[in-house]
Amino acid sequence: MSSQVIIIRAKDLFDSNRDINSVQLTRLFQKGFELLTGAQTITDSIKTLFDTRTKIGIKINTIGGRQISTRPEVSLCLARHLTKGGIREKNIIIWDRTNRELRSAGYSLKINQSGINIFGTDSNAVGYDKNLTAHRSIGSRFSVIQSRLISQSISMAILKDHGLAGITAGMKNYFGSIHNPNKYHDFNCDPFVADLFDTPVIKTKHRLTVIDALTVQFHKGPAFHSQWAEDYGALIMSTDPVAADYSSWMLIEKLRKQHGLPTLSEEQREPVYINTAARLGLGFAESLNIRIIKKEI
Amino acid sequence: MKRRHFLKFSAAMGLSPKKRLLPLTSDLYAFSNTSNLSQVEAKYYQKLADREIECRLCPRFCKLGDKERGYCGVRENRGGTYYTLVYGKACAVHVDPIEKKPLFHFLPQTGALSIASAGCNVNCKFCQNWEISQVRPEQITHIDLPPESVVRSAQKNNCPSIAYTYSEPVVFYEYMYDTCVKARNKGIKNVMVTGAHINPEPFEDLLKVLDGVKIDLKAFDQDFYTKYVRGELQPVLDAIVTASQSQAWLEIVYLVIPTLNDKVSEIRRMCQWIQKEIGPDIPLHFSRFYPSYLMKNLPPTPISTMEKLKHTAQQQGLHYVYIGNIPGHEGENTICPQCKNTIVKRLGYLIENIHITDGRCDFCGLQIPGLWS
Repeated sequence: MSSQVIIIRAKDLFDSNRDINSVQLTRLFQKGFELLTGAQTITDSIKTLFDTRTKIGIKINTIGGRQISTRPEVSLCLARHLTKGGIREKNIIIWDRTNRELRSAGYSLKINQSGINIFGTDSNAVGYDKNLTAHRSIGSRFSVIQSRLISQSISMAILKDHGLAGITAGMKNYFGSIHNPNKYHDFNCDPFVADLFDTPVIKTKHRLTVIDALTVQFHKGPAFHSQWAEDYGALIMSTDPVAADYSSWMLIEKLRKQHGLPTLSEEQREPVYINTAARLGLGFAESLNIRIIKKEI
Repeated sequence: MKRRHFLKFSAAMGLSPKKRLLPLTSDLYAFSNTSNLSQVEAKYYQKLADREIECRLCPRFCKLGDKERGYCGVRENRGGTYYTLVYGKACAVHVDPIEKKPLFHFLPQTGALSIASAGCNVNCKFCQNWEISQVRPEQITHIDLPPESVVRSAQKNNCPSIAYTYSEPVVFYEYMYDTCVKARNKGIKNVMVTGAHINPEPFEDLLKVLDGVKIDLKAFDQDFYTKYVRGELQPVLDAIVTASQSQAWLEIVYLVIPTLNDKVSEIRRMCQWIQKEIGPDIPLHFSRFYPSYLMKNLPPTPISTMEKLKHTAQQQGLHYVYIGNIPGHEGENTICPQCKNTIVKRLGYLIENIHITDGRCDFCGLQIPGLWS
């Protein structure tokens, strides 16, 4: 048994203004899906991964403002690939905690019946569940988007170092789906990240992790610090949420080493929740069980 | 039940005399506008390099990067400056009997204008007000009620005191402090109802403007604090000692949870500590647990357990030990430790008889500690 992780990287993705080359970005997704599913066309890839008749949420991370959030052009590019696979635009929701954060990351909000929807949990008539979900160490209210509006979920997190968690990637991104993430940062967020992912409202809906490693904050995150951010130009894709996070962690360690920084372990903030997630059976967290496919375009 | 008895019982349960100005809970689907949160610079924090800050208000010492909030969820680092988001933002405003806090030796039979903002710096699995304490301010309805308006409201409602309560006032420290100062200038007293998970310096500063403090001691065991409170015991014990040495009146409440913190040996150790560090005259309330929040798997505390623990505390020499959350129980009454007469007879939040004059027992003249008028 093993999991597969795709690390697909593009040269010349950014221009001198740090704008993204949209052609290269599209190729990244195309190649990424192809490698992930083995299908020859994007339509077949999407059909392999999703039920194309039901609603899909793309949970992004916009807490870092324009400088270090999932960019609109990236999540919209993913959404367009979903539509190419037969998912109707109106069945796609790109979302995060608040409209304020979405706007600050450059998103134009859209709540409509026909096109792709973009909105936060704090939109009118959305909000959080009235009832608490209690599961292992978690006691939280879920965003109605995650609990009721969608039936399949993609975690599309931006890859960042995190002062408490070690790293923030695909699993921790779901902290933005609950009302009280501030209560789960003790002990390097362990076991909270894993326990949250293990809740049925996430575990049974999660289909795909896409880590946005186009720009990686490898130190002093999760806030943006240009001196410790690298335009790495990669996407990390996997259907195994633990393997995706493990591979993302290794990438952070690699960048830290290149810049002469200590390991996260040496800074007493190793992302131990990744191993906890593996112990819960949510995926693999060791190199032996992870087949990494690297591709540069 | 006859109407007269019904009204009396309702009053004892805090149902009718309480004047509710803003609902305690609210519809979470109705978000507050995030731009309506306050942006008042917080006290007690240290600026660090790279726009990071360290909060020094409570023993958590949250170290936060830009745009991050502390464990409390109501204090945020914005570009290297730390702000409170709940200054003047009240999510609950009521007039309560002071006995509801509970403070039994502090201005009995008076109303306390009671206010709260969202948030808490611990996460007790048995919290009874979790719908306001375990949320972010933008997730509930709140009103703009600056300190001067709180004081005016207390005056208008003939409340001799303002209580900072319901959630955890430590996290709305700046709002509370400024209100205390303004209230004191108008002759209104201030009481804080708290878990006392706070650092010494801010607490000492605050005690200078407080007249009463009720501290929830949730267990006498660090393991309990780790598992069920997500906090530290020692800072709470330190705060109790500090409060007892201040000019503010202090009472302690201990919520008795079946099987988790109800061992006689633990209560004995706690009472010995109270005796040694504070003395026998501090009121100690054992409060009955009812299933709530994330602890619905346990039954209400047996009344026999409550009585056993009260007896244990009295055996250790404590003079004023009460049983709470059981309206009509005789453990609500104040007994003179010298002549053993009942000097305050209570029914829930109602007082049926009081035999204290000028702070002394009417029967034997013993000075009864507290603020009685």
